[in-house]
Amino acid sequence: MLRFLVRRLLGAVITLLIISAVTFMLFYAVPRDPARIACGKLCTPETLELIRHNMGISDPMPVQFWHWLSGIFLGREYPGFGNCDAPCLGYSFVNREPVLATILDRFPTTFSLFLGSAVVFLIFGIGTGMLAALKQGKPLDKIASSASLVASSMQIYFVGTLALYLLVYQWQVLDQPGYTPFTENPGQWFGGLLLPWLILALIFTANYTRMTRSQMVEQLQEDYVRTARAKGLSRPNVFFRFAWRGAMGPIVTIFGVDVGVLLGGGMITEKTFSIQGIGMLSLKSVVNNDLPMLLGVMVITATFVVLANIVVDACYALIDPRIRLA
Amino acid sequence: MSFSRRNFLIATGVVAASSSVLSACSSGDSTNNTGGGKQDAAKADATVVKIGTAEDSKGPAPEVSGAKKGGTVYLLNDDDFSHLDPQRIYYAWNSLAAMVLSRTLTGYKIADDGSQTLVGDLATDTGTMKDGGKTWSFTLKDGIKWEDGSDVTVDDVRHGIERCFANFITEGAFYVQTWLTGSAEYRKSYPGPYGGKHLKSIETSGKTITFRLSEARPDFNYVMAMHSYAPTPVKKDTKQDYDKKPVSNGPYRVKTHVTDKSMTLVRNEHWDPATDPIRNAYPDQFDFTFGIEQLTAIDRLLADAGKDQYATSWRTIPQERIQKAQSEAKDRVFAQLGNGVSCYWINTGRVKDKSVREAIIKAWPTAAIRQLQGGSVRGDYATGIMSPLVAGYESQDVWGKLKNPAGDPKAAKEILKKAGKSGYKVVYAYQNDPTQAKIKVVVENALKAAGFEVVTKGIDSTTWYDQVGKLDNQFDVYWGGWSSDWPTGYSVFQPLFDSKNVVDQGQNYSHLKDPAVDAAIKAATAETDQDKANKMWAALDKQVTETAAFVPDVYMKRIYMHGSKLGNVKMDPNFDGSMLYKMYVKS
Repeated sequence: MLRFLVRRLLGAVITLLIISAVTFMLFYAVPRDPARIACGKLCTPETLELIRHNMGISDPMPVQFWHWLSGIFLGREYPGFGNCDAPCLGYSFVNREPVLATILDRFPTTFSLFLGSAVVFLIFGIGTGMLAALKQGKPLDKIASSASLVASSMQIYFVGTLALYLLVYQWQVLDQPGYTPFTENPGQWFGGLLLPWLILALIFTANYTRMTRSQMVEQLQEDYVRTARAKGLSRPNVFFRFAWRGAMGPIVTIFGVDVGVLLGGGMITEKTFSIQGIGMLSLKSVVNNDLPMLLGVMVITATFVVLANIVVDACYALIDPRIRLA
Repeated sequence: MSFSRRNFLIATGVVAASSSVLSACSSGDSTNNTGGGKQDAAKADATVVKIGTAEDSKGPAPEVSGAKKGGTVYLLNDDDFSHLDPQRIYYAWNSLAAMVLSRTLTGYKIADDGSQTLVGDLATDTGTMKDGGKTWSFTLKDGIKWEDGSDVTVDDVRHGIERCFANFITEGAFYVQTWLTGSAEYRKSYPGPYGGKHLKSIETSGKTITFRLSEARPDFNYVMAMHSYAPTPVKKDTKQDYDKKPVSNGPYRVKTHVTDKSMTLVRNEHWDPATDPIRNAYPDQFDFTFGIEQLTAIDRLLADAGKDQYATSWRTIPQERIQKAQSEAKDRVFAQLGNGVSCYWINTGRVKDKSVREAIIKAWPTAAIRQLQGGSVRGDYATGIMSPLVAGYESQDVWGKLKNPAGDPKAAKEILKKAGKSGYKVVYAYQNDPTQAKIKVVVENALKAAGFEVVTKGIDSTTWYDQVGKLDNQFDVYWGGWSSDWPTGYSVFQPLFDSKNVVDQGQNYSHLKDPAVDAAIKAATAETDQDKANKMWAALDKQVTETAAFVPDVYMKRIYMHGSKLGNVKMDPNFDGSMLYKMYVKS
């Protein structure tokens, strides 16, 4: 297991290095001059040159990348803007803060959004999927399958806006969505995120219901399940101890990817509910041409995806005894 | 500079929303006007900016009828302020906050009817001019303090201006720096105050500060109202970090500020209303929440529930909510003429024949363009480049645009034929966004109907001004907008039409090089009698319009909304947003 983890972590570092290098080059190769953007509207050649110097973007691109990379370990100083202590993922010239500080400031919001919605969609998605598989062909299965089909074809910006309009503005049964730190006020944290959780979970629940149902139906038809039943094991025992564990592999895989994506920011959800998480940050960075921030968000998101996949791979062995890590 | 500060709002994404501004409090004729109808000149919205006396400069500000102190106002906004350090402030929406944090030597006292008077804010009056405008002196009032209780001194005023030269101040205005050093490359003359040296062109004595300028600037007292030239306390200057938490000398101070998320302003106990002729400061607190989409903000204001009853937003109402806002919350919607003027520049460097330019103007489908941008709510038809809010504005209609805003392709065709230019190829550049793409079609059809051959070129909105700002931009006609940095003609005509500004990324977007216009700008700039100067600028408005260097479009309007528990929410005509210092919380 240890060898596996070390090997995967080394691979992850190389993957992230490649991602950051490619992203860096792509961003800085586009014909958008961050100095010109930061220079604003009252821009003279003299001021533009000064900003370029302050930003450290007058050097050749490989040198800039090296400075960016070394900044992660050594920190950097941006004259005229401020210091960026290690680990420095760059400096946003738009909101005038180190990139990592801004991302870390937004992370609890995105994490809270992910956590609550994951709890909802895992419980309801997997639960409904299992029930549907158990009652295969019966009304409950048909209702669950149809409902999940409808829900999975919904879009967050539509359902979210509709729910916001009805539940918050019209009927005023739910709080205005927003983020309050859990440590500050758990009640407001819950109330402010409840609607985004439910809407985000609605879409994901549908996917997990369909996935769980199909996996369970497949597993229930496997020889080892039939053997277990033939040996006289009880139905719940067979269902949870054998079929469920067998079905979990693909679900965990999908969940791993979803964790990475959701921690990277539920862009549409955050925008729909005006929640200032990493998704909103990346969206705003695109609009504002805030390339350093965008690069930082990309690297962090990629890190989440890569790490989540390592965890998922490690979990396979725990869930399914047929898989053993070398 | 490439833009004026309000121009930024016109130039960026805000244009989409601003294209739907309603005329609610202005002349009835313009609100009832349909896309193709006639319209009287926008004189109803015109206000006079007069220069006040020492008496006008005394506080306190006149009370707002029915207003009372107390309560919290909630601001729902999509974006945070890009700067709070006054020296870094140039764009209008930053000035909305700066109005309650950073007082300036002079400022605008805005009456209930919207008329403005330039008064002394920190200074006892609007300054004393000598040497035909080359020397200006201001004396500070007594009792003006920073939020820590220390006095605002002339050293602080000087320090604020000297900071503008520092290498980390790259965003503010640079007019005064240039005039104080006599050079556009002003940093080479003076590196800023941090080396311990002061500018020789600024003298201080007691409570008086004197500026010795390299050129005559009779309207220098207007320029001193810009937040770029507000004082910064010498002892509390944290350089780059000052942007995060500036020290206030206004009625409020920053209590907390989390970039892009929230900000709370609370009362500055050391602000003395007796010294302030401009600000009332009724609410106890302002709570800003950033990151709220414009549509969401308006939906919340429409719902008018809970704290949102005490809320407002200073982004204009998005086009898709205007009708709803007007029908459901008419008494909470307010709109006014802004300082922005929209036009279409004709590149005189390429379209050298004036007859061709005249034909373009004659054929131009102004009414249809306005209709595509929300109709009369977009603004009143413009006839020149000078906003009705600029001192001295006079109504004129050189091209008969008020009589026929729809355009006259037939007449244009005649002009073109007479000039022997039928089939003239016009390259029309437009921003690649949905509205401008629709406008492109209308323009293309109108110009074709007038006998032009039309080539259209779509440009990415983010690089728009970089592209059209190039001297050899290869375009004949392109959209532009302008609003003055201070409400005198200099701030309009010098940047836009002085031939010295026909340079790469210069503001003379029409590339007009007209010795007569240059001479008129010079003469009006040097005129020390402001009344006479205003008349000269108004005449210049007609003169530049006659050069056919641009197609006038509209005098832009903006529309805003607020919660039901707020009173006297009005727009600051200088900064195109709500005046925090005039509104109050109802009981």
